[in-house]
Amino acid sequence: MNENLLEVSNLTKCFDEAPVVSDVSFSVKSSETLGIVGESGSGKTTLVRCILRAIDPDSGTILYNSQNGWREMQVLTNVDLIPLRREIQMVFQDPFSSLNPRMTISEILEEPLIIHGVGDKSSRRKLVLDMLAKVQLSKDTLTRFPHAFSGGQRQRIGIARALMLRPKLVVCDESVSALDVSVQAQVINLLEDLQEELGLTYIFVAHDLSVIRHICDRVLVMRHGRVVEHGLVENVFSDPKEDYTKLLLSAIPSPDPDIRLRPEDRKRLVL
Amino acid sequence: MTDNILEIRDLAVQFKTDFGVTRALNGISFELPRGKVTAVVGESGSGKSVTANAIMRLINPPGKIASGNLIFSPDGGTPFDIIALKETDPRLVQIRGDLISMVFQEPMTALSPVYSVGNQVAEAILCHRHITKQQAWREAAEMLVRVGIDDISRRIHQYPFEFSGGMRQRVVIAMALVCNPELLICDEPTTALDVTIQAEILTLILNLQQELNNSVLFITHDLGVVAQTADQVIVMYQGRVLEIGSVRQILKAPLHPYTRGLLAAIPALAKKGQRLETIASVVGDEDIETPYPLTRLKDGRQISLSPQALERIINE
Repeated sequence: MNENLLEVSNLTKCFDEAPVVSDVSFSVKSSETLGIVGESGSGKTTLVRCILRAIDPDSGTILYNSQNGWREMQVLTNVDLIPLRREIQMVFQDPFSSLNPRMTISEILEEPLIIHGVGDKSSRRKLVLDMLAKVQLSKDTLTRFPHAFSGGQRQRIGIARALMLRPKLVVCDESVSALDVSVQAQVINLLEDLQEELGLTYIFVAHDLSVIRHICDRVLVMRHGRVVEHGLVENVFSDPKEDYTKLLLSAIPSPDPDIRLRPEDRKRLVL
Repeated sequence: MTDNILEIRDLAVQFKTDFGVTRALNGISFELPRGKVTAVVGESGSGKSVTANAIMRLINPPGKIASGNLIFSPDGGTPFDIIALKETDPRLVQIRGDLISMVFQEPMTALSPVYSVGNQVAEAILCHRHITKQQAWREAAEMLVRVGIDDISRRIHQYPFEFSGGMRQRVVIAMALVCNPELLICDEPTTALDVTIQAEILTLILNLQQELNNSVLFITHDLGVVAQTADQVIVMYQGRVLEIGSVRQILKAPLHPYTRGLLAAIPALAKKGQRLETIASVVGDEDIETPYPLTRLKDGRQISLSPQALERIINE
């Protein structure tokens, strides 16, 4: 049994008094993939942004098991957070807006190393080349700019950048949602390979339940800022306990034309 | 009378760019059977949306329709070639919102932010029919109720920003259906929506199709959506058609290696923990990259394959 890497308790975040994340508690084990699903507005992105301390939660605790022992993320100052930033990284949804159009791929990948003062120019170059090979991009991409790449290639660049500092925890916020199904399959395979090779822990935010089912070990189902159900993916998908989870699952269109779409009626459910 | 509402013959569309001419469609041909739902699937850049825009003659410079025919046969009317219509031909107005209409992907950009939704749906009627404004608003209200907008006397005067994504898409559908078009084109109508809202919108489009009995061209990259909506499926790749068949033929027994690859890449169909198949393994194959003509097989499906591969399939 792996030990916990992250323990979130009673996390709450309001925007203008309106609770966007309310009283959310969960933990993430080392080397597992935790999925977070829910509709737009359910608070998925706000939750992970709190965990990253990209925004500050109103209350609750975020315990992170860093290389130097447990840290209470929510009370750390920005300076104290810097060493943790190396360990927790994010891959964004939109492969177009998340890369600076005026930086070459080499600059994009080297930047995190420079910010954290890793190595000298030649050793950084070597790290960039290693990472490029890991995400299956060729060497001649280095001198080019983001606009020269397709959505799938850009997402590989985004993944490479997130992994440059050898993080332990990678948060993927809808990282494969914008991709075509065939490209999506390549990126999912890549993420799984990298997890095995580097021992990564993923928090995987998605609205696509079939993607979650494929890659996650455990899943949190969110609605209106609360966790309505959580558990092992197999259990939640085969035997959902909550009406809302049933509604979500019933809405997935099956690629088998003999399995007809029969979405549960939202109005009939007591949610 | 033919039983096809639209016949696309050798349609080619090109875009002139700084780097030469991009062939978005390389002479595609297929038919849309009347009263049925036809789905066009393919990845980005396969030419799905260009096909839809060409049908409504919405290809603007630097793009142009290089060749081909689009034979449209309105119910009880004389068939005509959409591509041959002059800019002044009144039928050009008819195919843009009256006989043919379109539901777009992005409900936010398809609606104007500065007009109320009632105004926009009524405008769609007033463009094509000589009735009073009051009558148009009455019909707009009826249509909005039909697509599931509650509290209509208040909602009809509201603006798109006051509606959620799913409700906006209902308004766009109302706009498209209010003139009762014979052919409805849906270009990725649920891609921007949550899965629960997608299910509602798909159910709505299908129920209305049954009620109004119009023909639908459904463009999507989601094979789950295809399975749930289509009668006939067209698989496109890089401006060409690779396979045409019934929804069961294409999704349950695909013959083309590209179609098989597309299906194998869906996480829902893969076993958990198993690697997903990727198209990369078939792309570059001679059978996919060479534009072989479509051949009709005994079971009615059409497929673009090399003569050798065809023979293998026929013998199987």
